[in-house]
Amino acid sequence: MSAHPITLDDLPRDGERLDLTKVSKLNGLFLVIGGLGLVASLAYLLGFLGEQKQAEFAYSWLFAFFFFFTITCGGIFWTMLQHASNSGWSVVVRRLFENLGSNIGWMAVFVLPFVFIPSVQNALWEWIPIHHKAAEEAVKYNADHSGANWGTYEGLHHLAETDHSKHILTSKYGYLNLSFWYVRVVVYFAILGALAYFLRKWSIQQDKDGSFKHTFRSRAFCCILLFPFALAVTFSAVDWVMAMDYTWFSTMWGVYIFAGGAWGAMAVSILALTYVRSNGYLHKVTSGEHYHLMGKLLFAFTVFWAYIAFSQFFLIWYANITEETRFYILRNTGGWWYLSHVLVWLHFAVSFVLLLSAGRKKRTGVMNALCFWVLLMHVVDWYWLIIPERGPSLSEGKVLWLDGAWVGDVIALLTMGGLCGWAYLRRLSKASLYPCRDPRLLESVTATN
Amino acid sequence: MARTTLKRVHGYLAEFDSASDVYHASEQIRDAGFQRWDVHSPFPIHGLNEAMGLKRSILPWFVFFGGAAGITTAFCLAYITQVGIYPTVVQSKPANIFTTAAFFPIMFELTILFSAFTTVFGCFALMGLPRLNHPLFAAKTFKKFSDDGFFICIEARDPKFHQAETRALLEGLGGKNIELVEDEL
Repeated sequence: MSAHPITLDDLPRDGERLDLTKVSKLNGLFLVIGGLGLVASLAYLLGFLGEQKQAEFAYSWLFAFFFFFTITCGGIFWTMLQHASNSGWSVVVRRLFENLGSNIGWMAVFVLPFVFIPSVQNALWEWIPIHHKAAEEAVKYNADHSGANWGTYEGLHHLAETDHSKHILTSKYGYLNLSFWYVRVVVYFAILGALAYFLRKWSIQQDKDGSFKHTFRSRAFCCILLFPFALAVTFSAVDWVMAMDYTWFSTMWGVYIFAGGAWGAMAVSILALTYVRSNGYLHKVTSGEHYHLMGKLLFAFTVFWAYIAFSQFFLIWYANITEETRFYILRNTGGWWYLSHVLVWLHFAVSFVLLLSAGRKKRTGVMNALCFWVLLMHVVDWYWLIIPERGPSLSEGKVLWLDGAWVGDVIALLTMGGLCGWAYLRRLSKASLYPCRDPRLLESVTATN
Repeated sequence: MARTTLKRVHGYLAEFDSASDVYHASEQIRDAGFQRWDVHSPFPIHGLNEAMGLKRSILPWFVFFGGAAGITTAFCLAYITQVGIYPTVVQSKPANIFTTAAFFPIMFELTILFSAFTTVFGCFALMGLPRLNHPLFAAKTFKKFSDDGFFICIEARDPKFHQAETRALLEGLGGKNIELVEDEL
């Protein structure tokens, strides 16, 4: 207990501003890594290193992109959840989430290779080259038959007549067609971008005018828009990752991706909190209690992730339907089997046991180490989701693992990590580190478990 | 109802004005080294555990072993019946140790059930419940504890309890309506 009950007079009136020069070392490091990585990545993506490398790197880029994209969505989710549930405790840490979610602008840049480089699309999503081929068939047919008006759909039908495995693409044509795919990319970023932009904007406006209308407006906004947010996250995961194998489907998919992303976003925010605290900020407003509260959510999502991951596995394993089991058969073959076990024992069991104790969640040093662990496991999880498709897809089923392709994975991860970290730190310095005139500020400062 | 005249001293009950008073008094009593005493308040007071110097409850260990017993019971139940005694072949799944995935739901449920039982019954056991009566119910002012009264009771079985000194301590801490509570035998 403090010597006297804390009041608003004890807090700096205009909040605390991060001084970029204080964090210039880390920020410089981020920029150098990100910048160098970007040069290397562009060399891969634009095909300067050859077609094979380009195709391999497409998977690396998707893996890194999806890792940071889901963490960004997690940042948006936590901001929205705190507004929608009118959370008092989280006000002092909310700006960390708002800034994390605002990385979505950078994500819209990182997604561009998937949109504009056809060979990247063709390497990742098998259905796209098939659609191109179907379109060519249609053009050929129309040329040979006067008055015929075939489109891609009819072309697919034509292809399916000789290769029945393609028939599924005609059934899925209503959703899985290229024009709609492009529209969806735009819609996802429009939804997520608007959410991140407005929530941060209103929150910063409140720092200046202190009006509580921003609080009410954000709350109403979030209650309604959690629904489109969920749809955007779910279907982006379907489009970019699940559709790598167009025959496979899982109804748990969206929740699984969301659970992992929210888990990673919470870990990033705890690390960010520690980092700004170690530079002398937020000491007046945050304490071990906030670590404990955030740690509880981290713990909750450890369990939630495991619950969803097991449910997905369990239903597919039990039903034993050919088109569903492929996903797990691939990930239980060869070296991937070990990675599957890493997910069970290290991603879930170890994190669960270590995060269980209440006392441990209050100790910042321990929580930090645990958050690094969480992020490492999140990397493993997303690697396990995306990379196993690479070998079989690019070698037409001949090999499981392409030697040397992991270099690209590391480069892509470092590139986006560097640039996202750099952008995040810069954004932190643009406004107060916590919403300094939120009506629930005092409630948040004095929060106890 | 026949009553005996034999009585045993239960302890001193002192009333305090506010949550803050009872909190600070608790810190003093903790520092004076008392073991057998308790605070009664109409609502939970944040930080009172630390102010009273209460140790961490042993209950989580009960729950841990309860949960461990639950998961073991469920596994044995499922394994012995589904694999050992009467192998159940569903969807051409093998009936062996790798069928464990199918047992997970029941393992999960029994872990929860056994943990919940040990939580509830362990909690009762640690609190000495159920019991029919408590000596404090005979105290004159004690009923206020569920309305607006804050009480500290130092029990006579505490090794540091002293008829005069303990009373003086409570008075010094600002305790009012100090009452020697007696238990009818």
